[in-house]
Amino acid sequence: MGKLISFQRLETPGYVEPEWQAGEVALVGAGPGDPGLLTLRAYHLMQQADVVVFDRLVSADIMAMVTSKATRIDAGKSCKKHVLTQDRTNEVLVEQARMGKKVLRLKGGDPYIFGRGGEEVEVLIAAGIRFRVVPGITSAQGCTTYAGFPLTHRDYAQSVTFVTGHRQSSAEDSDGREALDLNWKSLATSAHTVVFYMGLGNAETITTEMIRAGRASSTPVALIERGTRPEQRTVITDLLSMPEAIIRNSLQPPTMIVVGEVVAIARQQTIQDNDLVPGIEFHQEDSTRLRL
Amino acid sequence: MEYLPLFVRMQGKKALLIGNNETLTRKHTLLKSAGMEIYLVGDAPCQELIELIDSGVIKKTADTYSENLLDNISIVVCSNEDSAIAQRVSNDAMARELPVNIVNNTELSSFIFPSVIDRSPIVAAVSSGGQIPVMTRILRNLVESTLPFAYGRLAQLSSSFRAKVNAQYPAINQRRRFWEKHLAGYFAELVFSGKDKEAEAYLEDVIGKESMSETGEVYLVGAGPGDPDLLTFRALRLIRQADVVVYDRLVSTPILELARQDAEKIHVGKERSNHTLPQEKINQLLVRLAKEGKRVVRLKGGDPFIFGRGGEEIEELAASEVPFQVVPGITAASGCSSYSGIPLTHRDYSQSVRFITGHLKDGSCDLPWQEFVTKGQTLVFYMGLTGLDVICSQLISCGMDRSTPLALISKGTTPEQKVLTTTVEDATEAVKSVELKAPTLIIIGEVVRLREKLRWFD
Repeated sequence: MGKLISFQRLETPGYVEPEWQAGEVALVGAGPGDPGLLTLRAYHLMQQADVVVFDRLVSADIMAMVTSKATRIDAGKSCKKHVLTQDRTNEVLVEQARMGKKVLRLKGGDPYIFGRGGEEVEVLIAAGIRFRVVPGITSAQGCTTYAGFPLTHRDYAQSVTFVTGHRQSSAEDSDGREALDLNWKSLATSAHTVVFYMGLGNAETITTEMIRAGRASSTPVALIERGTRPEQRTVITDLLSMPEAIIRNSLQPPTMIVVGEVVAIARQQTIQDNDLVPGIEFHQEDSTRLRL
Repeated sequence: MEYLPLFVRMQGKKALLIGNNETLTRKHTLLKSAGMEIYLVGDAPCQELIELIDSGVIKKTADTYSENLLDNISIVVCSNEDSAIAQRVSNDAMARELPVNIVNNTELSSFIFPSVIDRSPIVAAVSSGGQIPVMTRILRNLVESTLPFAYGRLAQLSSSFRAKVNAQYPAINQRRRFWEKHLAGYFAELVFSGKDKEAEAYLEDVIGKESMSETGEVYLVGAGPGDPDLLTFRALRLIRQADVVVYDRLVSTPILELARQDAEKIHVGKERSNHTLPQEKINQLLVRLAKEGKRVVRLKGGDPFIFGRGGEEIEELAASEVPFQVVPGITAASGCSSYSGIPLTHRDYSQSVRFITGHLKDGSCDLPWQEFVTKGQTLVFYMGLTGLDVICSQLISCGMDRSTPLALISKGTTPEQKVLTTTVEDATEAVKSVELKAPTLIIIGEVVRLREKLRWFD
């Protein structure tokens, strides 16, 4: 069925894309989880790949769409248990490309937003390997849209910041609980939405530091677990109560923390005919119901 | 299109086959199934043709071809190996404006036979214009395997309910919604699994019980940064089913062309300082169209919830009780980042990225500039080209290093992508020497330096 790809391409009028050559790596964002949020280009490449090196954040539904002839290599990064270290992942990409394979490096979200895509590409360049990069919907977008509120809004947020809530340590085995080295004053500006990626383990620090830097303790917060997947859970709370809300609802990673007035717009979207997201659980913690 | 595809009623008309080989038996099957009378001209016909003649299905009129045999004929098919005869048949038929097909010779033919998938009354025909028959065959297999065989029965069964459905649901959009729901739902599943009786009973039961809402729906869809292949599957599906497309200037033409041909297309701006429709009016338009029962796709460049004013639109829709869906799109920052080779975050250079609207209200600068100047953060300004001067001078006066790298990316992800790398200090001067078309995105931060190494697209 590999040949059929050319016919599927007839379906979309995409700009002419250079042919994927043997020994070339495609670094591709797979989006936040819902296969419906995959780009057409990502899908085309998934049909042509010889080898797929994927992360833990790439959903099983999406992996099921990869051509069955491709070899699958799990580079899945979870905080505690690295299946492959970043260095080893880089080596695998280089090895497979040198064997003349079409290597698909599939990453959750967008490869250039906390995807460490830049580092991987630098390694490929050093090894003289050709590559291309395909952007994806980053988790902040998917999670907030499916929770029913925008990231920016003329009246409530003129800017949005994505920040990693996980300490950027040079040691691969960091447990992520060390002090976050962030400019809290900048993050605490009002009329501003802040999205913490991988921040669950540092929720208390986030609350303390944001309030200390001047953000109101009543600022609305959304906690979005497994965003865009059928089992998405959204908990709406405020900055002060956030750490407690995480414990009370036993939220697990991946959970996105979104701080800002836009959260108050959250309402359950009608996902009427969506074939991929059957139902999304939605909690509004009563004490902090907000009206703008 | 080199050929015009048509479905032509041919019942009772006469077809003339010229030649004696088995190719003609295959053509005969197709012509016969459309209800034609078949005549044959040719000596020493092959065994299959002889059987057809003997059983009276085909009438043999002559051994050799002559022009007068074309009288009263509606269609001519010739597979004579003698090229002189084929040439004559072609000339004569064309002089009479008769549709003629010379087998394996598109030059001499005025029509060609498509590859047919018959699920009568549903019929699909595929053609490569005679150029790559293998491709046609593969496509045909693809369609054949995805169109359940029971589609024909589904169509027949459904059409027997048409009068009832029409009476029950007088509005055309109610009817359409009724059929869309059931032809893709449980009713269809019952037919596909051979339970026609139960399917009939089920449909009988639901007609009248279901009140098909007359209110339409609005899909707020991010169309991404420009390259149509960066659309998501959900976006594609909703664009294809919309009755009306309400779109921005930033949505590219190939994406608009994905909409149904009969879908109404409404352009609502926004050129900078020349808003074709004010936001208020757009919100009202969406509500009005949905209340008319239409399915409206509101297409926006990038992502509707990142400087797309999608929030304002859904507030209005929710207040008017119009159902809606929102589909995120690849935002310009992601698209431009990947295609220019500038990662937005990077372990060594940037731990956070801030998106800011560069569309400054009245050219003023009530933005917290001081807070933008922070180490290890990438700044992305959307729609910032006209405000570039203000942006750079504000950042410098708030203490940003003058040599901080800055990139301007014009028409990112498209074949016309242009990237200009400079510094915060020199940017205003540097843009004067190049022509940058909107939309232009500005990326500021150490990550811009990576482009030198990581560029690949332009």
